Amino acid sequence: MLLIRAIVRPEKKDEVLYELSTAGFHAATVIDVVGRGKQKGIKIGGIVYDEIPKALIMLVVRDEDKEDVISVILRTAKTSAKGAYGDGKIFVSAVDEVYTVSTAAAGL
Amino acid sequence: MKEIIAVVRMNKTSATKKALVDVGAAGFTAEKVMGRGKLVEEKERIATRRANLMELAKAEDDKETEALIDSFLDGSRLFPRRMFTVFAHDDDVERIIHAIIKANQTDNNVGDGKIFVLPTMDIVRVRTGESGEYAI
Repeated sequence: MLLIRAIVRPEKKDEVLYELSTAGFHAATVIDVVGRGKQKGIKIGGIVYDEIPKALIMLVVRDEDKEDVISVILRTAKTSAKGAYGDGKIFVSAVDEVYTVSTAAAGL
Repeated sequence: MKEIIAVVRMNKTSATKKALVDVGAAGFTAEKVMGRGKLVEEKERIATRRANLMELAKAEDDKETEALIDSFLDGSRLFPRRMFTVFAHDDDVERIIHAIIKANQTDNNVGDGKIFVLPTMDIVRVRTGESGEYAI
């Protein structure tokens, strides 16, 4: 299993979650975060904004669903056909075990 | 070394903290998150839950309440949850997971949370600079 963490624009959060649900990946955890990327934030006038608000969407999926999830996020989180700086990043990490609290069962 | 991520009910925060102390893993990081779980598709279960919620609301034909309750059940809503992140030695993982599960189970059958166990490459304690198993 894999943990997919996607950092997207906050205004794209609902759209990404909706599309993920439609694609069959309903379960997700969402956190409001601030951060900066490779462009070192945004400089407007003389002021540098480097704590830009973003939404962090976390979901754990089976290995074979990785490509599907990533393509859904890539498609919906983009702000234009070309994409723009600040559209976000996706990180994938390994997950050894998953448990559901209500049933104490292992697995997704 | 493992990273244990547990997403649990907000009102179970103190129970979870206590369970962690009892099991010998007092250190944790907690975050307020929003989330949703697997969609419940059994019509019967949804209908029962809906009836229970309507009973709680005690509203007489109130459209707003009904719409609100429906939004709770159709999966369109994110619910507030507490996310615990605990780093542990490999040998302790099973005990910690067991403790978290025991502290968080309710009679609702759904929505009690999920626990993820991730491998961890390295941990460094900022105060001393020591790393690896000693830093947990």
